[in-house]
Amino acid sequence: MDYEIVMGLEVHVELATKSKLFCSCSAEFGAEANENVCPACAGMPGMLPLLNKKAVELGIRAGLVTNCEITRTITFDKKNYFYPDLPTGYQITQLYAPICRNGHVEIETEAGKKRIRIKQIHIEEDAGKLVHDYLPGSSLVDFNRASVPLVEIVSQPDFRSAEEVVAYLEKLRSLLTFADVSDCRMQEGSMRCDVNISVRKAGSDKLGVRTEIKNLNSLKAIVRAIEYEAERHITALETGCEELVQETRRWDENKGETYSMRDKEDATDYRYFPNPEILPVHISDEWISEIRNSLPELAHEKYERLTQSLGLSDYDSRLITSSRNISDIFDRTMEYVNNPKEVANWIIGDLASITKEENKAYDEIVIDCEKFGKIIKMVESKVINRTIGKKVLQLVFRDDIDPESYVRDNKLGMISDSGYLENIVKEVLSENEKSVSEFKAGNQKVIGFFMGQIMRKTQGKADPASVNSILMRELNNLR
Amino acid sequence: MDREFFVSKHDAKAENAFALDDNIMVRGGLTTAGSKMLHNFISPLQATVVDRLLAAGMELAGKTKLDEFAVPGISEGTCDILSGAVGAVAEGVCKVALCNDVSGKVRRQAPQNGLYYIHPTYGSVSRFGLIPAVSSMDQIGIVCKNIDDGFDTLGMIAGHDENDITTFPEKSYAYAPKEGKFRIGIPSNVLEEADEKSKELIYDFAGKHDAEETELKYFEVFSQVMYILSSAEIGNNTSRYDGVKFGYRADKFTGLNNLYTKTRTEGFGPDMKLLSVVGAYVLSKDNYEACYLKSMKIRRLIREHANELFSRFDAIILPIKLKDPDPYKNLALYAFATLCGLPSVSVPLGRNEGIQLVAQAKNENSLFGICKGGR
Amino acid sequence: MDMQTVSKYEAMVKLDLPESERIWIAEKVSMLEDSFSKLSKVDTEGVEPLISVVTHDYSLREDIPVKLVSRDEILSNSPEQFDGYFLVPKTIE
Repeated sequence: MDYEIVMGLEVHVELATKSKLFCSCSAEFGAEANENVCPACAGMPGMLPLLNKKAVELGIRAGLVTNCEITRTITFDKKNYFYPDLPTGYQITQLYAPICRNGHVEIETEAGKKRIRIKQIHIEEDAGKLVHDYLPGSSLVDFNRASVPLVEIVSQPDFRSAEEVVAYLEKLRSLLTFADVSDCRMQEGSMRCDVNISVRKAGSDKLGVRTEIKNLNSLKAIVRAIEYEAERHITALETGCEELVQETRRWDENKGETYSMRDKEDATDYRYFPNPEILPVHISDEWISEIRNSLPELAHEKYERLTQSLGLSDYDSRLITSSRNISDIFDRTMEYVNNPKEVANWIIGDLASITKEENKAYDEIVIDCEKFGKIIKMVESKVINRTIGKKVLQLVFRDDIDPESYVRDNKLGMISDSGYLENIVKEVLSENEKSVSEFKAGNQKVIGFFMGQIMRKTQGKADPASVNSILMRELNNLR
Repeated sequence: MDREFFVSKHDAKAENAFALDDNIMVRGGLTTAGSKMLHNFISPLQATVVDRLLAAGMELAGKTKLDEFAVPGISEGTCDILSGAVGAVAEGVCKVALCNDVSGKVRRQAPQNGLYYIHPTYGSVSRFGLIPAVSSMDQIGIVCKNIDDGFDTLGMIAGHDENDITTFPEKSYAYAPKEGKFRIGIPSNVLEEADEKSKELIYDFAGKHDAEETELKYFEVFSQVMYILSSAEIGNNTSRYDGVKFGYRADKFTGLNNLYTKTRTEGFGPDMKLLSVVGAYVLSKDNYEACYLKSMKIRRLIREHANELFSRFDAIILPIKLKDPDPYKNLALYAFATLCGLPSVSVPLGRNEGIQLVAQAKNENSLFGICKGGR
Repeated sequence: MDMQTVSKYEAMVKLDLPESERIWIAEKVSMLEDSFSKLSKVDTEGVEPLISVVTHDYSLREDIPVKLVSRDEILSNSPEQFDGYFLVPKTIE
């Protein structure tokens, strides 16, 4: 029997504001516990919510890049439940008039293009953070994240495979990072995802029992959790060994399983009601077009520019526009080196491999683009060779050294003095008679070996082009 | 002797002093809102009204006692305890006292003690630094012996506050008694439920103006709407009191849920517990539509009815108590102003008696005028 | 309203009332339920709910971070704290 998996996604994305949603506390990530907290976001009485204009603007932007209708009068509601990470005992969210509705995004998988419909996007406040393994028997509460603005992007149940889910999340990340809505960092929790999943017999139009999977912190976890949960549903349907119930389940990364949350969460009555403290906000046509006109260049627009105006290849352009961060590094480096192909080569070849060596994601790369540009220029103008350039780039990446003074202080300048290089070449050939005879017997591969030896003797500083021509000349003389 | 009205008392010259109910914050001071829940809560904020009164050169006489979170109590006996704000002004300890009279207790007790109570238009006075009870109705008002002192004080505190977006954009208001004859509506359906003495006072008072009988529609459901909306908002506004961040925490507990329930069961008084339970009831999935949503709709009907009334009248006159002493039924008398955000003044008349006048939003000056000319 | 229903709502708002209080609350709630049933007599067909009595336009807050009070001032009101955190009984196993 064939089964079809049906999934819908709820994606939470932290908005890139400087301050919180309803108070002026800093929304910056990584502060000391409870450092960015005021009486309002500590749940104390007496302060009134002051809605952050930028959060509304970013909510509108999120809707514009996902082809949503923008709601002209938005309101906020209160959702009641008790939990220590929720300082006031209620979360301010949007139930009745969410900021965006009825959008869609295009995704592309091996199976082709597909449209995923977005039901709505609403603005809400984040909760605080609980730390569990610090003191035995206690949990610690930090309200720095409490009341940081989020949007929740709710899709229709349009997904049929984990591959589609991943493609959608990557598409959202691209749209939202390029539009400056969010940095979408899953590892920092600024992008989170809950998956609603059910399974039905292929061809059936009746939906199966739906479960919701929470606590998914990486794309890898999402894929594994979907595979596990779909399998659990199918086994239950086939064998009847387990009765499926509509419930919320958590993903256990270590065990590779989902488990029922069991605490009456599903039975919880959130007792929503309209928040009388936040008067309706009217969103004018003027405001929307102002926001639309100030949207930064999106990934697909940038791709057009790179391929059309700058003449980069499809492959290079795709890679550069796959990450907002890489794309920014490209643009900023271009301010110092006006050579798109060269900058693209350096990013795709050298910077990408260094990133891999350092075990980092593209989004995590931090580099001083002025210094990056200087290295590229030094190589272009033959002050250093490319191998040295890559080494210097590694040091800039790791320790933020100054490339020019480093090259000067360590005498890394390129050696192209042909007399000097000729002596080195001769030296190497006379030290390796065996290899020379191999060359004479027709083995071309030893050329690489000779090159390596010569570079070693010059600490990698020799001009490879000069070495190559001297070497070939000398070898031919020996024939 | 005056101390029984005060939670804390400062030295201040009575003729220049104001008292605050203990749900209005003074930075660095204890603010209990009359609840065990906040028995040790030191306020990190200062209410905008306090800033403004101090800036105007007034002195703080102290913090006065109030019913827990100023809630509309319907438990036996709560209505008989004298409001600290009323007591402090009646004793002459201060010129004015500020409080949040959601329940209507002060609107009844002020005239009974020879005092006025000015309940301003919702949105004219900032609620920043007021411990919330019913956010959509909370309104800081003024108890005073002399109506001019009351409106002077209101002039100092009223006006836009950027920390409270529900305040109107007007920076300040000029309060001065309006002159001329006033059209006063006497809602006969309300008077039917009042005692003879109250009726007599109302006809006497209104008789000095252009008085006309009218009907206050929906009066029969005022208490219900008031209690439903209040319970939901109070329940929500007090769910922050859980023994984690500040205030009271139960001594012994086993686990998180027990910490919550023990703290809240021990920390709240009977009326707060009743309101919390009713608040959950009216907002629950099963009852939201029939109770909460219905009440919000009726609230609009009442507000629209008020507009109609005030197209014909400068003020509606109401008794301060009903024949039936049931506190729940009496809520209806104060609900008109509170539900619609309208200004009202409770006026002392005779010995321990009085009436209330309610006007259209921002029409305090008509009420001021009636008080000055009608006596 | 019966005791079981009262305790359902109690649990929602994190109360656990002693029997005597529960009886009192059940009585009051039953009285209120009766009274609330009168609302159905009011015709509200097509009426929009009124959420706030004020309707003026207002400015939203500009996105500028401001530190209002120190962490010590926030934590000084807490019943139990450790190393800058609020403390609660462990929330997970």
